[in-house]
Amino acid sequence: EEPILSPAARRMADEKGFSPADITGTGKGGRVTKEDVVRHAEQNPLVT
Amino acid sequence: MANQFDVVVIGAGPAGYVCAIRAAQLGLKTACIEKWSDDKGKALLGGTCLNVGCIPSKALLDSSHKFVEAQKDFDVHGIKHEGVEIDVPKMIARKNKIVKTLTTGVGGLFKANGVTLLEGAGKVLAAKQVELTRGDGSVEIIESANVVIATGSRPIDIPPAPVDGDLIVDSTGALEFQEVPARLGVIGAGVIGLELGSVWARLGSEVVVLEALDQFLAAADQQIAKESMKIIKKQGLDIRLGARVTGSEIKGKGKNKEVHVTYVDSDGKENSLIFDKLIVAVGRRPYTEALLAPDSGVNLDERGFIFVDDHCATDVPGVYAIGDVVRGPMLAHKGSEEGVMVAEIIAGQKAQMNYDLIPSVIYTHPEIAWVGKTEEEVKAEGGEYKVGTFPFAASGRALAANDKDGMVKVIADKVTDRILGVHVVGPSAAELVQQGVIAMEFAASSEDLALTIFSHPTLSEALHEAVLAVDGHAIHIANRKRR
Repeated sequence: EEPILSPAARRMADEKGFSPADITGTGKGGRVTKEDVVRHAEQNPLVT
Repeated sequence: MANQFDVVVIGAGPAGYVCAIRAAQLGLKTACIEKWSDDKGKALLGGTCLNVGCIPSKALLDSSHKFVEAQKDFDVHGIKHEGVEIDVPKMIARKNKIVKTLTTGVGGLFKANGVTLLEGAGKVLAAKQVELTRGDGSVEIIESANVVIATGSRPIDIPPAPVDGDLIVDSTGALEFQEVPARLGVIGAGVIGLELGSVWARLGSEVVVLEALDQFLAAADQQIAKESMKIIKKQGLDIRLGARVTGSEIKGKGKNKEVHVTYVDSDGKENSLIFDKLIVAVGRRPYTEALLAPDSGVNLDERGFIFVDDHCATDVPGVYAIGDVVRGPMLAHKGSEEGVMVAEIIAGQKAQMNYDLIPSVIYTHPEIAWVGKTEEEVKAEGGEYKVGTFPFAASGRALAANDKDGMVKVIADKVTDRILGVHVVGPSAAELVQQGVIAMEFAASSEDLALTIFSHPTLSEALHEAVLAVDGHAIHIANRKRR
């Protein structure tokens, strides 16, 4: 199931071309925060 | 010929001017075309919202509310006075001053951001050329890499009640009355009709609102609509549902002129009423007059809106359309956000807009506001859901304010607890609903809001109690028995 993204997380994931399902959410109930997307980007620098 | 501009925006209303400012902020060479001008030929910026819509109507709603409070509600606080009067021309002049401040302010923002204002009418030609016809009749062709159409909307006319600008007026005319009409008719019980009807009813007009539909506020949650109808009727607005206007006739001469209106009610019976003024507020239509050259390539949909995709792109690459002239709710904040989205897309960003969470507000008193799905919509989709409500009559803050009509209603998904809709009629409804909008943007559950600390005493606590009531945990009302 697709995780729930915060508005800023949604936009950043879209910009970076990430699939929400690949990002680990640390927010309540597995919600993906912008911080989660930033961390995901650091760990996956080659993904564009 | 090289492009003169990166972006040319046609229309300086909430959609157009915001788009132009955002585009300029992003470093795009931007022009904004506006044809509306004052009697001295100077461009009037801000569009319908600032000049003859949101802002002026709110100014009159606030003035008239203060008057009615002083007249009817001061006594309860022990405040005595010798009688209160309203100076209508002064009230209208205050409104005009606010409008002037804000529209001039848009001009200042254009200057500060480096937006070029082009005064005149814009027409979209082929190949992203825009023909600008200035007030003196001179014509210039402007080349642009991108064109944004933001030409807005106009009031809808109906054949049985043609606007004459004197006795029969549209919303613009209803903001300019220089005296209180003794008998006022309003056709249409939508946002505009209710707001304008409220203004003049508070100042003493005997108001009858004729609504063709059988349902009051069909787009709102029907529990909230029913509660609102009860409150508004108590305030003296005579709302007649299922009343289809069939004709109108102006009779009499000079000061004795009056308008005779006939309508058919839901039983099929013909009725007639006599008014001193009649406001036609049945809706608004997209405005595209003389906008598109035959070979512009921009298409309209079957209802006359410019056809666009989810990113407000028209059928021509590089040509966008935003605001009331495209599909979606005709609301200033919807147009502005589309303007931001389009400017950012032009600048190469990945912008998107959440059409599911555009709040609606009706500025009656108490206000009516909502966001997300109504109970009727959730039910129709077949999902299981939970509802929590809380009346302002149980709010300490509302009682202290002597403003206790209305309620908050929250709908959440029964399985995931995600909030699906927030609906309010009551004091500061728009602000309470906005708290719901923020929560819903973050996909909050009703429990998320329930676990949040709300200041006491505040009106916001009514939202807190309503989310608590979703799971039967409200503290300050008896909870409904759970099945």
